Amino acid sequence: MALVSVVRDYIDRMLQDISGMKVLILDPLTVSIVSVVYSQSDLLKKEVFLVEKVDNMSKESMSHLKAVYFLRPSSDNIQKLRRQLAAPRFAEYHLFFSNILKIPQIQVLADSDEQEVVKQVQEFYADFCAIDPYHFTLNINANHVYMLPTVADPHSSQIFCDRTVDGIAAVFLALKKRPVIRYQRTSDIAKRIAQEAAKLMYEQESGLFDFRRTENSPLLLVIDRRDDPVTPLLNQWTYQAMVHELIGIEDNKVDLRNIGTVPKDQQEVVLSSVQDDFFKANMYENFGDLGMNIKRMVDDFQQIAKSNQNIQTIEDMAKFVNNYPEYRRMHGNVSKHVTLVTEMSRIVDERKLMLVSQTEQDLACNSGQAAALEAVANLLNNESVSDVDRLRLVLLYALRYEKDSPVHLMQLCNKLSRTAKYKPGLVQFLLKQAGVDKRTGDLYGNRDLLNIARNMARGLKGAENVYTQHQPLLLQTMESLMKGRLRDVDYPLVGNHFQQGRPQDVVIFIVGGTTYEEARTVALHNAANPGTRFFLGGSVVLNSKRFLKDLEEVQRISKSTSV
Amino acid sequence: MATRNRTPMYRKYREALRQVRSPSSPYDATSSSSSYGRHGGPVIELVSASLLRSDRPYAPLSIDDPGSSSGGGAVTVGLPPAWVDISEEISANMDRAKVKMAELAKAHAKALMPSFGDGKEDQHRIEVLTHEVTDLLRRSEKRLQKLSASDPSEDSNVRKNVQRSLATDLQSLSMEFRKKQSTYLKRLRQQKEGQEAVDLEMNINGSTSRLDDVDDEFGDVGFTEVQMSKLKKSEVFTREREREIEQVAESVNELAQIMKDLSVLVIDQGTIVDRIDYNIQNVASQVEEGYKQLQKAERTQKQGGMVMCASVLVIMCFIMIVLLVLKMIFF
Repeated sequence: MALVSVVRDYIDRMLQDISGMKVLILDPLTVSIVSVVYSQSDLLKKEVFLVEKVDNMSKESMSHLKAVYFLRPSSDNIQKLRRQLAAPRFAEYHLFFSNILKIPQIQVLADSDEQEVVKQVQEFYADFCAIDPYHFTLNINANHVYMLPTVADPHSSQIFCDRTVDGIAAVFLALKKRPVIRYQRTSDIAKRIAQEAAKLMYEQESGLFDFRRTENSPLLLVIDRRDDPVTPLLNQWTYQAMVHELIGIEDNKVDLRNIGTVPKDQQEVVLSSVQDDFFKANMYENFGDLGMNIKRMVDDFQQIAKSNQNIQTIEDMAKFVNNYPEYRRMHGNVSKHVTLVTEMSRIVDERKLMLVSQTEQDLACNSGQAAALEAVANLLNNESVSDVDRLRLVLLYALRYEKDSPVHLMQLCNKLSRTAKYKPGLVQFLLKQAGVDKRTGDLYGNRDLLNIARNMARGLKGAENVYTQHQPLLLQTMESLMKGRLRDVDYPLVGNHFQQGRPQDVVIFIVGGTTYEEARTVALHNAANPGTRFFLGGSVVLNSKRFLKDLEEVQRISKSTSV
Repeated sequence: MATRNRTPMYRKYREALRQVRSPSSPYDATSSSSSYGRHGGPVIELVSASLLRSDRPYAPLSIDDPGSSSGGGAVTVGLPPAWVDISEEISANMDRAKVKMAELAKAHAKALMPSFGDGKEDQHRIEVLTHEVTDLLRRSEKRLQKLSASDPSEDSNVRKNVQRSLATDLQSLSMEFRKKQSTYLKRLRQQKEGQEAVDLEMNINGSTSRLDDVDDEFGDVGFTEVQMSKLKKSEVFTREREREIEQVAESVNELAQIMKDLSVLVIDQGTIVDRIDYNIQNVASQVEEGYKQLQKAERTQKQGGMVMCASVLVIMCFIMIVLLVLKMIFF
């Protein structure tokens, strides 16, 4: 519950000391931050009877309410706050900022507070979206910037870096730790972020970060998405990852309005491991086991429903009335999961994903160039495979066999360019960004002898489930870290930091975005190894659609700037 | 989790900047909202605490003590709108219901204890308390319906949320009350059955002992007598149980009604309706929708045939008047 409970504690503390009816005012980013951990009914319990956005221009005066502002300390928000303080609508103003305020900003606010309605100004460092206990995201809109060289658009790069450093700093302030920082050598943006974070934590605000030193210093590892471009491209078969890949999860909400026909009360649903016990137990299960568990849940529910139909004595009636709220909640929950699984089955059938995914997993895990080529060519010729799936197959083939036979790769690209939506040159562009020369980690396990041997052994053993045999590169990184064998050459330390002992708390930040498959790996690893806690965070949560969108955007920009 | 309090630094700047702005008014200690220091207009202040209980969860407001804020004086507070009174009344009712439920629990426990007396007065007291609690809950629920607003304004959202919060509390209170009632009745029934079983046993023993002593003819008579007394006892029990069951049915009905009305108001936890971002979006889209509708209405009204007709008629009237005047002049 680590990250989720920390953010909840911050919000609890904001609201608890202020008595009376309150209104909570948020900006678009803090709305996500608060909504994933706090529900409307929780707010009502704390007497917050209205929630507004900070850009609400209403002039209606509600002096029986006290205002609690929770905003990011951006210059935009400070300007809006200035205007609202000059003409106050509420009795009292309590200002909470999610990150470090600059002195000029405080002065600006103090200047505009002529009527002295501000009672407190605090910094509560909840500047990240805690979607799961060990997974956070920053929801950065212009995520594609990480792939651009700094010179192409220095202003956007600066904004991206600032937001990332702010988010990482907030995580460590919330956890009350000051880490040793390592970064991936081959990635410029990772190096930049690591160095700026070190400057913030050790020089600019060293007083704020001066926490009690422990024996084993915590670690921040900043790596680049392009070191493992395979994981976001693969199709997923475990519940949470699958929903995000096929439909899309945003701040733990799933929008089913544009997907097929769903009953009216299931058009938007919430998938939160903290609030939903069934989801918590099944979020990392594969599709087959999930189906069985859902069937069991539906059977249990039908039994209860039948017994509710069978009301004969007064006692039965009384029991029904007592248990009605619980019954209603269960009914809603069952419908939600059944709707999701039905939709996903439909999509799987429509796009023939069982067939496509088998080839994808082979491309990601097993070697055998000729067989792979044949399989990919067959699927490209297959009419019922959708365009985006064809693109993914060719990209995966290219990533694995880019050096083996460029001729075959050209042939596949030509076949691909006959589809209308394909932006020509995308495959080459991906190789330029994330090809074998740019990667540090051993993505396919064919660089070092130990890994080759391990792969061969796994191949001989055979996989339990063909569809979930892929393990993201992150698992290797985590295991090397635990054993203390992460090479300094590949992942150097910033400045003159020194890692004391084996780290017990590690935050891995993937610049460019994480995936739910990696979050699953981290959660399962944490459960199996209680000695070390890994937290995973990224600028967004990727699925193949988002990853391709970012790639296409960067390709467009670099074409327009180079011409 | 780390936090940092910037209030002292903020206050320092605020003070300094105020000195810069108006260096000639040292009487700024008690300023009203519209004037800088000196003699402001009449200021409405809400005196709290003496009139309200301190543990009331929905107290409208309390003023900051003038001493706590440096420089800033008493905060002027506007009077809260009328519906706040209704919400206070409802919460007062619920507190009273809670107190009565505690008393009821004690009365239940007392009635269940084996006693020598008839227990009739205990029963009576329980009945009275039960009725009072049900009455309070029903009244609260009716007042709750009154809280819903008719006009879509900012305030209506606050009203709706206050209504929801009170509805949740009311629902949990009713459920608790139901549970207490049903456990009491169950225990009461068990007790009665126990007594009955004991009586039956005694009867059986009595009859067998009689059999042993007396021969068959006497035994027959004895059986019938025993049967008669058993019948009478079971009649009394049945009548009592009928009454109890009727009571239970009545209270179940009432509470079912309350629950049905409340379940419309209460939010289902864990669903999309319980999400803050969903509610914010909805408010925004509702206001937008309203604005669009207003614009559409304005447009149709402007284009409407009514406006044309009216203007044509007015023009005709003018022409007629002019003609009349001309006729007057020339004739």
